[in-house]
Amino acid sequence: MLLSIENLRTYFYSRSRRAFVRSVDGASLSVGRGETLGVVGESGSGKTVAALSAAGLVSGTPGVIGGRIEFNSRNLLDGLERYVQVEERDGRVMAVEKDESGWRRQVKRLMAGVRGKEIAMIFQNPRAALNPYSTVGAQLVEAIRLHTNIRNKQEAKEKALHWLERVRIDSPRLRFDNFPSGMSGGMCQRAMIAMALSAEPSLLIADEPTTGLDATIQARIVELLGELKAETGITTMLISHDISVIRRLSDRVAVMYAGTVVESGPASQVLQPKAGHPYTAALLASVPDAETIRTKSPLQAIEGEVPDTIDRPRGCRFYGRCNRVSDAVRSRCANLEPPLAEVAPGHKLRCWLHAA
Amino acid sequence: MRRYVQAETFPRFMALQRADALDLAYVGYGLLVVALVFASYLIGAFGWLPHDPRAMNVTLLNAAPFTPGHPLGTDFLGRDLQSRLILGIQAYFLPGLLAITISIVGGSVLGVLAGYRGGPLETLVTYFANLVDSFPRLVLILLVIAAFKPDIYYVMVVVGITGMPVIANLVAGKIAFLRQKSFIEAAHALGLPAHTVILKHILWLNCRAALVIQATLGMAEAILIETSLSYLGFGVQEPTPSWGNMVQAGANYFLQGNFWPSTAPALAILATILGFQLLGDGLNNILEGKRGR
Repeated sequence: MLLSIENLRTYFYSRSRRAFVRSVDGASLSVGRGETLGVVGESGSGKTVAALSAAGLVSGTPGVIGGRIEFNSRNLLDGLERYVQVEERDGRVMAVEKDESGWRRQVKRLMAGVRGKEIAMIFQNPRAALNPYSTVGAQLVEAIRLHTNIRNKQEAKEKALHWLERVRIDSPRLRFDNFPSGMSGGMCQRAMIAMALSAEPSLLIADEPTTGLDATIQARIVELLGELKAETGITTMLISHDISVIRRLSDRVAVMYAGTVVESGPASQVLQPKAGHPYTAALLASVPDAETIRTKSPLQAIEGEVPDTIDRPRGCRFYGRCNRVSDAVRSRCANLEPPLAEVAPGHKLRCWLHAA
Repeated sequence: MRRYVQAETFPRFMALQRADALDLAYVGYGLLVVALVFASYLIGAFGWLPHDPRAMNVTLLNAAPFTPGHPLGTDFLGRDLQSRLILGIQAYFLPGLLAITISIVGGSVLGVLAGYRGGPLETLVTYFANLVDSFPRLVLILLVIAAFKPDIYYVMVVVGITGMPVIANLVAGKIAFLRQKSFIEAAHALGLPAHTVILKHILWLNCRAALVIQATLGMAEAILIETSLSYLGFGVQEPTPSWGNMVQAGANYFLQGNFWPSTAPALAILATILGFQLLGDGLNNILEGKRGR
């Protein structure tokens, strides 16, 4: 496994409500070398915060308070317990004491040579992710000179042009001197991908790479990511709420709900509508596929909304919205959090219906 | 008929091409003034003056302009006005640069600390700004002169320090605004060290225009303060010429009909300060896109 996240907890403190927002609460997922892990879930399910935690980029407080993030057999949360003290009462975090500056120093030490070099990220809304006052070429050159041993400006420029070409940007020489405002969103995302890949990282975290782009451009970016994946074999953690994007690109899929992973496994097994976690099934039923289009059957919305991340119900997090719950398991669903149980090799579920 | 041409490469100075003619005129005049001031400063520094500015000529007191040998006339002691005007630039040029350097560097540091670190530092910077704002500048300068000595460099240090809060607020505001932008987060994700992000991506790329504008306005302010002080007799002392003490010296003869010896330095002050102000305004309109379009 290149990256494995275990029982990660990333909380934010809401001053106005004097309570913790449990953005990521006990999530575990792993990405194997060379594979693409698709992380899917509704907005607010903690996908992005989990990825930011892995890259050491959480800016809110208290931020990461527990768990294990192992990258390339290095623990990226090494020494966390020295800076964080968590007070728990019957399974709920009641108070957190964190030495912010000490923790920040520790993260800086642990992330040196990792962030950007080993773990690269691309974001949603690419145009905002590029500095508007600097040309695309200058930013690409900066990234190349930072992360590779190319120091010579001319050489770096050649390399930058090479990468612009690799992400299929037309007339890269012309685009090199463009400011981000002069390029389309899709083009900016291509430039961002070039910047991320130019460091030749071992892990690429793509955080909603198609969100905020036109539908046709989305398809092109997905295509590009697929092609680059085939060319370079880079390990990717792809975060999206768009199941079709996940389906196109992922080898394995992790479904996140209310801050935890409710199902993970090979894409072919997780993304089939019949079996699996009720939430995954409901997600799949809410987007059109060839079958629903052919039969013109109506799409099913998931009733209700993602539970409050502050005041979380005791039992299964999906209990209030679950349409498969049977009388046999109802009391367990309502009161006990289901464990992550393996139903098939490599396929894990967090559901009492599937628990042995 | 209009011709449309596809550029080989995209224009790097797009802001300049879109600028108003009026703004360009402002900037052009401003740059002309800056060039003249700089050239005159060098001439004065090397001592290539047409006349000895201290040489008196009792036969030619308060001469009118275009007197042979004295194109701008002479003052009440018969000293060449042109040479004295040129030498007068020495009085404010380096001190003014010192003042704007102090306010830009100090203000940027304070602004970065306040905007990037936040917390108690931000409060401290705000208090400092309020403290400086609540004190009349000229009174503070006079206090310093009284406490130390009437040296223009002391004065300009005070001018620089009192100019810091404006810059600090500007930079802190920019940072607060930029921090929410994802490109700063993306720069961190790229692994750029924090000082590169602050110095290059925030200060250099996003604040340089604003800082240049503040620098030109600050220079205008410094000149104004130097001339005011010299006029009041607290700045540069006779016989060393400064535009301020030249106006003052000439003013005694103003009502006797010899208005030129005080009007010439006054016009020089006017033209120079106007130049710096217009340069700042024009740059502001062009680089920051302040003129609504």
